[in-house]
Amino acid sequence: MPALAFNVPTGVQPEVVAGGSHAAACGASVEPAAGNPPIIVLESVSKTFDAHGHRVVAIDGVDLRVDEGEFVALIGPSGCGKSTLFNIVAGLQDADSGGTIRFGGERRKSTELLGKVSFMPQRDLLFPWRRVIDNVILALEVEGMSRSDARARALPMFAGFGLSGFERHYPNQLSGGMRQRVALMRTFLFERPLMLLDEPFGALDSLTRAMMQRWLLDVWQLHRRTVLFITHDIDEAIFLGDRVVVMTARPGRMKLSVEVGIERPRHADIRTSAAFLEIRKTLLAAIEEESMKSFLSESV
Amino acid sequence: MLARSAWIALGLLVIALVWEGAIHAFRIPPYILPGLGDIAGAVAVNFAPLMRGLRATLFVAGVGFAAGTVIALALVLAIVLVPAIEKGLMPLVVAVNSVPIVAYVPLSLIVFGIGPASKIAMVLLGAGFTVFINALQGAKAVDQGAVNMLRSFGAGPLRVAWLLRLPGALPAIITGLRIAVVRSMLIAIVAEMLGSHDGLGRIIYEATQQIDFLRVWAAIAVASVASMLLYGLLVWIDQKLVWWK
Amino acid sequence: MTRSPFLRNGLVQVAPLLLCLVAWEVLARIFGSTHAVMPPVSTILLGIFADGNTLLRSFGRTLAETVLGFVPAAAFGFIAGALFARVRIAERMFFPLFLISQTVPVVAFGALVIIWFGNGIMSKVAIAFYLTFFPVTVNTLRGLRAVDQDKINLLKSFGASAWMLFWRLEVPHALPGIMAALLLGVSLSLVGAIVGEWFGATVGLGIVLVQAMYAEDMVRLWGAILLCGILGSTLYGLVAFAARRWVWWGGEI
Repeated sequence: MPALAFNVPTGVQPEVVAGGSHAAACGASVEPAAGNPPIIVLESVSKTFDAHGHRVVAIDGVDLRVDEGEFVALIGPSGCGKSTLFNIVAGLQDADSGGTIRFGGERRKSTELLGKVSFMPQRDLLFPWRRVIDNVILALEVEGMSRSDARARALPMFAGFGLSGFERHYPNQLSGGMRQRVALMRTFLFERPLMLLDEPFGALDSLTRAMMQRWLLDVWQLHRRTVLFITHDIDEAIFLGDRVVVMTARPGRMKLSVEVGIERPRHADIRTSAAFLEIRKTLLAAIEEESMKSFLSESV
Repeated sequence: MLARSAWIALGLLVIALVWEGAIHAFRIPPYILPGLGDIAGAVAVNFAPLMRGLRATLFVAGVGFAAGTVIALALVLAIVLVPAIEKGLMPLVVAVNSVPIVAYVPLSLIVFGIGPASKIAMVLLGAGFTVFINALQGAKAVDQGAVNMLRSFGAGPLRVAWLLRLPGALPAIITGLRIAVVRSMLIAIVAEMLGSHDGLGRIIYEATQQIDFLRVWAAIAVASVASMLLYGLLVWIDQKLVWWK
Repeated sequence: MTRSPFLRNGLVQVAPLLLCLVAWEVLARIFGSTHAVMPPVSTILLGIFADGNTLLRSFGRTLAETVLGFVPAAAFGFIAGALFARVRIAERMFFPLFLISQTVPVVAFGALVIIWFGNGIMSKVAIAFYLTFFPVTVNTLRGLRAVDQDKINLLKSFGASAWMLFWRLEVPHALPGIMAALLLGVSLSLVGAIVGEWFGATVGLGIVLVQAMYAEDMVRLWGAILLCGILGSTLYGLVAFAARRWVWWGGEI
């Protein structure tokens, strides 16, 4: 695996390429470096729960593959098992037997993945008794790094995350958008090949969300991780992702995978481009079908 | 803050006025309700023995409180690490606590004698239980999402307890400590009343035997002020320690 | 053979207790003497039955003192709390004092209560009353106050009168907190009754405790402790049952 750019000097801006071909936007090439295996491959992964005597099949035979450096967006109706899938990939839950998980080319049990994936849950989960700086270094502390070393690591990144000057604040002094950025910074500092982001912008208003999306792409382009991103918002999925994957209603399965061929870096105006709308139409049709199924069968 | 204090001061003044007023209006004899001045006088006259008694009471209450808290927190930690312990422990805790704590005082006096040990044992039981219940509640109420997040970083249960459960449970623990500190004084005094060499409870007992009602009031006044100050101290600690609420 | 989960759950909860009792019995018989600090459980139980009449009277007396203090205290506490809620000035002046008064070692007043009310049942009732009155008042006031303004406005927009607001919104809102205070109060009332008996009484579980202590009669002492426990749990259980049945919406309001 190539070394991941980390302590990037804050003054660097990603190259703005006006027009041009896909290949020209090489600051954000999507093709995996030659010879490197996909970060994660799921084959026929299933998970069944026993809830009060009922058997609930959360996901059933999910196939998913994420290549190195890819940004994959995952959408699906509520209850389709997205969070279950994330929990499995993060190693917090084990999958049923019968499926395979390959991580970095090697076959693994899902529980072995614990600690190997950088997972950002839906809520920011910042510790109110710790300052911002101590919240972002949480994962590093757990890894065993000393506080001073971890803090030294984190401090240069504050500007890139738009949090300059807030290092010593407490979480309850920050706005929602800033808290999400703190949580994202914590996730980025936990250097792992794969990042899972579970609807990080769901709780924000649409203006903040739009800004956060653009900001996330900037940061991602600087640090070049592999990202698997859950969202409810089709536009967000297309705007952010190299590829959008649609899950079916429960029991969850992969319904559709669409390549987003739009070049990077992406600007806000692409949302009205023909290519965008075309992809949107395809995805919308697929999602609506599944949402209707989910809506009608909602028993929880 | 100032406005609140002003209101409280006003309230105290009203109570003082009603107190003295009632004594004069209804001609209440001093053996039922002494005047505030008389009580203050009694405190002054008996100051040395009252302070000695206060010191003894504070000692047993303090030691029992500290020991009870340590044991309670250790038990909660054990339960956090080995959840099965709770299943075995809770029925016993509930059973022991279904008996009103004062009912154990005679037992304690027989087993530990009239010295400080019996009072410390009682306070330990009473304060320890309160802290245990509150701390356990706080430790269990921790956000499972945050636990999972730490686990995803590779943290083991001890790490999770230290990084998350302890600070997370701190508000509940402090609440428990606040209640426990008042209970400690109460239990110490009650135990002393039943059998002790010294302490405010002993003074109250003796004064009652000697029908020296003024001394009883004086001892109660000292005990009350001490309890209030201790409680106030805990409230202050609460605000300082749990600054993020 | 399948056992219902309810039964199984109950057994799991009682098992550690039974285990301890059995261990107690066995250890006491092995290591004990007649004057042992912890006589065998069986001896204690036999002792209770042997002295049934006296103990029953004592039990009943303490029960009466507790209930006679608790019930009026609950009622008056509710009324006082409601009054405080209505009269803001009163609340500002006196409520913090109420809170502080809870830190006063009230039980020490037992001596004075005897002076005021004499040696009979009334003094114990008075102590029990005092101990319950304050928590109930405090929690009533808190609960009534804590209703969020939006809900009040909603009912007002339907044309609700102050009386209706009180009974249909504020009181249900306050009930979980009041129930918590009642649970605390019933335990405190029992404590007050027992300690009150120590100051002067002839009949009651508190008296049995003290008599056994002076006589160093461990069997009788443990018997009295056991009976106090039964009395306490029964009363607590009754209040808890009432709370669960009629105030099930507790928790965060």
